[in-house]
Amino acid sequence: MKAGLMRARSPLPGFGLTFGITMAALSVVVLLPIGALLGRGIAIGPAELWQMIDTPRIWAALALSFRAALIASLFNLVFGLLLAWVLVRYRFPGRGLVDAAVDLPFALPTAVAGIALGALYAPNGVFGQLLAPFGIRVAYTEAGIWLALIFIGLPFVVRTVQPVIAEIDHELEEASATLGAHRAYTLRRVVLPILTPALLTGFALAMARSVGEYGSVIFIAGNLPFTSEIAPLLIVIRLEEYNYDAAAAIGIAMLVISFAMLLAINLIQIWSRRRIAHA
Amino acid sequence: MPDVILVPHRDVTTEPRLVRGLLVGVVLLLIGILLFAPLAAVFASALSEGLRASLESLTLPEVRSAIRLTLMVAAIVVPLNAVLGIAAAWAIAKFDFRGKAVLITLIDLPFSVSPVVAGLSLVLLAGAQSSLGAWFAAHDIRIVFALPAIVLATLFVTFPFVARELIPIMIEQGRAEEEAALTLGASGWRTFRTVTLPNIRWALLYGVLLCNARAMGEFGAVAVVSGKIRGETTTMPIMVEMLYNEYLSVAAFSLAGVLALLALVTLTLKSLLEWRHADVLAATRRH
Amino acid sequence: MNIDIDCLEKRFGADRALHPVSLSIPSGALVALLGPSGSGKTTLLRILGGLEFPTAGRVRFDGCDATGLSVQERRAGFVFQHYALFRHMTVFENVAYGLRAMPRKTRPGAAEIDRRVTRLLDLIRLPDIGRRYPGQLSGGQRQRVALARALAIDPRMLLLDEPFGALDAQVRKELRRGLREIHDSTGLTTVFVTHDQEEAMELADLVVVMSMGRIEQVAPPSEIRAKPASDFVRQFTAA
Repeated sequence: MKAGLMRARSPLPGFGLTFGITMAALSVVVLLPIGALLGRGIAIGPAELWQMIDTPRIWAALALSFRAALIASLFNLVFGLLLAWVLVRYRFPGRGLVDAAVDLPFALPTAVAGIALGALYAPNGVFGQLLAPFGIRVAYTEAGIWLALIFIGLPFVVRTVQPVIAEIDHELEEASATLGAHRAYTLRRVVLPILTPALLTGFALAMARSVGEYGSVIFIAGNLPFTSEIAPLLIVIRLEEYNYDAAAAIGIAMLVISFAMLLAINLIQIWSRRRIAHA
Repeated sequence: MPDVILVPHRDVTTEPRLVRGLLVGVVLLLIGILLFAPLAAVFASALSEGLRASLESLTLPEVRSAIRLTLMVAAIVVPLNAVLGIAAAWAIAKFDFRGKAVLITLIDLPFSVSPVVAGLSLVLLAGAQSSLGAWFAAHDIRIVFALPAIVLATLFVTFPFVARELIPIMIEQGRAEEEAALTLGASGWRTFRTVTLPNIRWALLYGVLLCNARAMGEFGAVAVVSGKIRGETTTMPIMVEMLYNEYLSVAAFSLAGVLALLALVTLTLKSLLEWRHADVLAATRRH
Repeated sequence: MNIDIDCLEKRFGADRALHPVSLSIPSGALVALLGPSGSGKTTLLRILGGLEFPTAGRVRFDGCDATGLSVQERRAGFVFQHYALFRHMTVFENVAYGLRAMPRKTRPGAAEIDRRVTRLLDLIRLPDIGRRYPGQLSGGQRQRVALARALAIDPRMLLLDEPFGALDAQVRKELRRGLREIHDSTGLTTVFVTHDQEEAMELADLVVVMSMGRIEQVAPPSEIRAKPASDFVRQFTAA
C-alpha cells in the first residue's frame, strides 16, 4: 500500500484498513460529487461559465447571500463574545439553561426555524404586529434574511470563544490591574487579544455556514429576484427548470466562496498557532 | 486616598456590578427573542386549534410516510457515520503520516459547502443527464429522486460530525494505553474493543447525537436530490415545507413540533453528556 | 534470558535516533540506560519491547532472532513512563488484563486469574486496592500497579521507561528498593531508562551511558565513576 511508505511503522494495527475506509468513503460521499460539479464547469468552459454567472440576477443573489451572511456574522461576533463572556464569568439564575439553549440552532432543523421565524415576524405574527407601528418590516425583506442567518450562526462564535475564556489565567488580569490599568483597558489590551484568534475562527465558521444557508431563509425572505433571492435558492430554481448548466455555474461560484472561507479559516489557525508559539 | 477606603474589596478581575447586571440582562433578552421565541412559536402554532387537531394532522398518510422515511434515513446514515468517524479518527489520531492535515481539511469540507451545492453536486454526478446516471437508469437502479440520493446527501452534510468529536479526544489520550495492551499480549481488535472504545464512548455518543439531529433535520441537500415526490421521497423537513406552502398551518407546525421536540431531547441528552464528559476529561487530566 | 543488540540503527527521515549500537545484556542483569533526553535510550527500550522498529540491525533473545517478533509475541513486561494504566478499569482488571487476553487454550480460569492477581498485589504490597480505579491512586501506587500488570503475563524480561520519573524523592527511594527486590526474587533480565545518574548508579548492575544516539560506555557503576570512557561520561556522571 502506497500510504504505508508515507508513514512511520507503528505497532498499532489497522492503519491500512481505517485509512482505506476513510478515503473510500470520503471519495464516494464528498469528493466524487464535488468533482462532478467542477467537471461540469470544465465541460462548459471558463468563458461560457463566466458569461452564465455574469448576469445581474446572479450577481444580485450572490451579493445578497454574502452581504447578509456578513451582517449576521458580525452581529454574532459581538453578541457571541458577550454571550460567551457572560456564560463563563458570571453566575446568574438560568445560566445552565442559556448555555444549553445556545446549541438550539445546531439541533433544530433549519426548515423548522424558518417557518417559526416566518410565523413570528409575518405582519400578523407576534413580533410583526409589535414592529408594524414603527414602520419596521422584517418578514419578506432583507432584514428577515439577516434574522434567519443570525439564528443559524449564533452558536459558532460562542462555542469557539467559550473554552478560551475559561482558560484565561486570572493572574494576567490581576497583573494588568497592579500595573495601574482600569478594567476597560485590561479587557481591551489583555483579554481581547487572547480571544482574537478564536473570535475570528468562530466568525469565519459562521460566515461559511451562513453564505450557503437555505432552509431557514426561504420561509422568511420574500424570494423576489434582485432584492431577496439568495444564491442557493437560485440554484434550486434552475434545477427545477432542468437547467443544469446554469445551476452548475452558480454552484461553482458558491464553491469558490466556500473554498475561500476554508482557506481563511486555515490561515487564521496557522496564524494563531504561530502567535502562541512566539509568545 | 478615599477610593481605597470606599471599595476595599473590589475584585479586579471582573466588571462593576452594574455592568454585569446590564450585560446579563441584554443576553437574556436577546436569547429570549432569538432562540426561545421561535421555539415557543412552533408549539403555539401547532396547538392553535387544540392538541387533538395537532395530533390528528400527524396521522395523515403522507405525514406518516415522511416520518417513516426520516427514521429510515437516520437508521442508515447514523451507524454508517459512526463507523466512518471511528475509522477516520483511528487513522488520524493513532498514526503519523504525510498529508494528515489535508485529510482533516477534506473531512471538514462539508461544513463549508452549502447543502444546496452538495445536493446539486450529487444530481450532476448521478442524475439522469450524467453518464453515471444513464448507466444506473439502464440497469434500473434509481439514485436521484430516490432513497439512495437522500442517504448520500445526508451522509455528505453529516460527514464530519463523529470524526470531529473523536479526533481531538483520541489525540489527547495518546497511544500509551493501546501500546500497553499490546505488550500484554492483546490483539489489535481486542485492544480497540477493551481499551480504545471505552475511552471514547462518551465522545462517540456525543457525535452520534449531533449527527442524528442533523440527519433527521437536513433540508437543503435533501430538497434538491429528493425530487419531493409526495409520500415517497418527502422526509419530515420537506413535508413541513410542503404543508406550510399549502397553508396547512396546523399540520406544518405539528410536524415541525415533532422535530422541535426531537431537538429538545437532543439538547437535553447533550447537556447531560457534557456534564458527564467533563468528569471523564477531568479524570484524564489527573493522570 | 540474555539480550543481544547487534548494530541497531533507527532513523526518522534524515534524523538518526540511534547510530548503529551494539550491546550484550547478560541473563538476569539489572541494566540502566542512562543519558540526557534525546540520547536514544527510550528508542532503544521501545525497540526491545517491540513498540518501535529498527531501520537496520538485529535483536536476539537467548540467541534467537527476535527482530521481527510482534509486540505481543515478545512478552516483554513493559512499564510505561506515565504508567498507561487503563483508566476505565479497576486495579484488579488492569492487572488481570494480560491474562484475560491470552488465547483460550492457555488462558487461566477465573479462579486462577483471581489467585494470581491477588498474589501480585501482595507482591507490590498493595493488597487492598484491587477495586479502586487508577484515578484514585497516588503516583507511587500507580507505578507499582503498572509493575504488577507487567509481571502478570509472566514476562521474559522487564522493561521500564523512566519508572521513577514522575515521583517525589521519598517515594522514589522506596520504589527503587522495591524494584531491586522484585528483580532479585524473579531473576528477570531488567532494563530501565533513566536520566538520573544517581538512580542508575545505585540500582543497576550494569550502566549503559548514552548520548546523541550512541553508546558512550558500558560498565558497572563503580567502574563508570573510576574510569569514565569519555568527557561526556565524566561530566554527565559528575552532575
